[in-house]
Amino acid sequence: MTGQILWAIFMPILVIIIGLIYMGLARKITARIHNRYGPPFYQNIIDVIKLFSKKDVANHGVMFSLGPVIAVAGMVISLLFIPIGNRPLLSFNGDIIVLLYLLVIAPLGMALGVGEGANPNGAIGIARALTLMLGYEVVLVIAAVAVMIHAGSASFMEIIRQQQGGVAHWFIWPLFLSALATDIALQAILGEKPFDQPIAPHEIASGPMVEYGGKFLGMLQIYHAIAIIVETGIFVNLFLGGGSLVWWFVKSFAVFFVALLINAVMPRFRIGQAFKFYWTYPAAIGLVGLIIVAIT
Amino acid sequence: MELEKEQAVVNLVKEAFEDAEADVQRARRVRIKIAPNRVFPLVAFLKANGFNHFVTITAVDWIKDGEIELIYHLWSYTRKVHVMVKTRIPRDGGKMPTLKPLFNQAETYERDVHEFFGVYFEGNEKLDRDFILEDWDGPPPMRKDFDTRRFAAEFYGQEDIESDLLKLKIQPYKGKLMQ
Amino acid sequence: MAKERPPKGLKGWAQGRSLWILQFCTGCGAVELPPVMTSRYDMERFGITPMATPRQADLLLITGYLTVKTLKRVIRSYEQMGEPKYVIGFGSCTVNGGMYWDSYNTIKRLDLYLPVDLYIAGCMPRPEAIIEAFNRLIEGIKQGKFNGWIRYKENLRWYKRNQAMIMDIRKWSIDKKLAEEVWREVQEERRKIFEQATVPHVYEYAERISEVG
Ligand code: SF4
Repeated sequence: MTGQILWAIFMPILVIIIGLIYMGLARKITARIHNRYGPPFYQNIIDVIKLFSKKDVANHGVMFSLGPVIAVAGMVISLLFIPIGNRPLLSFNGDIIVLLYLLVIAPLGMALGVGEGANPNGAIGIARALTLMLGYEVVLVIAAVAVMIHAGSASFMEIIRQQQGGVAHWFIWPLFLSALATDIALQAILGEKPFDQPIAPHEIASGPMVEYGGKFLGMLQIYHAIAIIVETGIFVNLFLGGGSLVWWFVKSFAVFFVALLINAVMPRFRIGQAFKFYWTYPAAIGLVGLIIVAIT
Repeated sequence: MELEKEQAVVNLVKEAFEDAEADVQRARRVRIKIAPNRVFPLVAFLKANGFNHFVTITAVDWIKDGEIELIYHLWSYTRKVHVMVKTRIPRDGGKMPTLKPLFNQAETYERDVHEFFGVYFEGNEKLDRDFILEDWDGPPPMRKDFDTRRFAAEFYGQEDIESDLLKLKIQPYKGKLMQ
Repeated sequence: MAKERPPKGLKGWAQGRSLWILQFCTGCGAVELPPVMTSRYDMERFGITPMATPRQADLLLITGYLTVKTLKRVIRSYEQMGEPKYVIGFGSCTVNGGMYWDSYNTIKRLDLYLPVDLYIAGCMPRPEAIIEAFNRLIEGIKQGKFNGWIRYKENLRWYKRNQAMIMDIRKWSIDKKLAEEVWREVQEERRKIFEQATVPHVYEYAERISEVG
């Protein structure tokens, strides 16, 4: 029990640091793809230190400052449902479904905060984020249902247990179509191109973050760091069979890496195109995968 | 024949407007001089004859003659000819009728000319709104009697920059040129 | 209240290693930034990245000449940035007016209106010069040498007065009360300058130019 509590305290800190390093590596890798040298891999940690050391910045009211807090809190709660390195904190039958609900809290918190900022760019950004969510959630849920039917359980630990025993047992092989659909959805969940319409620095001046500066922006960086781990973690647990602590992070980085490579060479869809895309191809792939699972 | 299409435009204008002085400047350029009150009918006539791109309005301050010359540029996509309609109005208190009924964009160009040359266009309602020079209280800055050098020195607080420059005497180079 | 000082130690180090810039692309200088950003010079290796809004940025780049109209927007953006904040002036136009030294609508010395931390000379400075400037800025910030925003706050009245001489500051300042007050003060002086500007000088001036040869 003490071990559990210590892990629950220690794990989010670990995840934040590793998430920030992921973001730094992402910048480095993107730079190498652009044939640049790129920043050091710990650049984002420096950024967060700097952001938190900045003096007070513009504040537009209570909800405005609570927005990033809700976002981070929502993400930390989601994190507790994800078994990292075979160490479940909150595990029961049905935790996947709870997690799918919890993932929505963070964007909604952001929406509340941005609403008070009253910046039109922020409003557009959050509208795009919620529209995009409508697009990818459908795909994600279809794929998750396929996994649950295949495993006969809605618990992460049970799904991971069934995938033990080497690469051949991973669900990515029998459920290849569902995995593909999830990976496409992941591109939008991670906010990488071609699905980074909510942020789009060149069109709407970084969208939801437009009014946030200094410490608020630091909070949002942390939020993003946790979000990366949670979102890649879902894929690792559902299709790549979890794994021990180090192994788990290696797998999650591999998933992130694929998204990055696509990100580095892609332009951006319009929001309408992105939405349409999600409800056609990935949804169709996911449905076919679901039907195959249901039949066999 | 060379300059055929240009000559055709000149003839067309001369037939309809006897008081207009029209000539061909060079290939694709025709200039027409006309009295200020005849500009509107002339431009309307040109518009009816294919000159449907109203490019811009420019102005020249002829300070010794006490006149400001306004030049209306029009282009025809069918005839491929650029026409300059030139007219002169008095520098002080000169007025022009607006061309807004013919071309909507004339409104913007007229505001521009008004702000920089102080020409008054009758019938343009937005003329007195700030356009490029916000909160400018002085004379129109593009007129030739506006001393931009002195104004810059006083307005931006550069006392001695002018005298420094005038003291400068550039000597011809006497040494060997570089090989 | 204790006097404010620029950050040092860990804070200063982090501040220096992670400068987020707000490119205010005025004048000709903006074209020199793409080479600085892209693969040849790559400023991201120093942690310098462009940011979209003033609220997120630490470093304001004034890339070239500023007309009075643009200066208004620049001042507004500068005042929205979170402290600590720094300003770099690019090119001779920001130093003394450059080739626009006699223009009626571009400002001549940027540091009369904003606290400039660093100037880059040249018309236009090459990317090497810009990288060098960034390096000096980073070194200086780590040692707590640059204190532009503190100067701006301490001499706010002086800066506001200079700004008010050339523009209507009431709409463009965050401190409305001070702006209103300063604006009223300088009215008389402004009017005089505008009135004198009508005195014709052209012919005299043309002759003087032919004298100089
Ligand atoms: S210094 Fe030169 S390059 Fe820079 S803005 Fe001025 S004129 Fe343009």
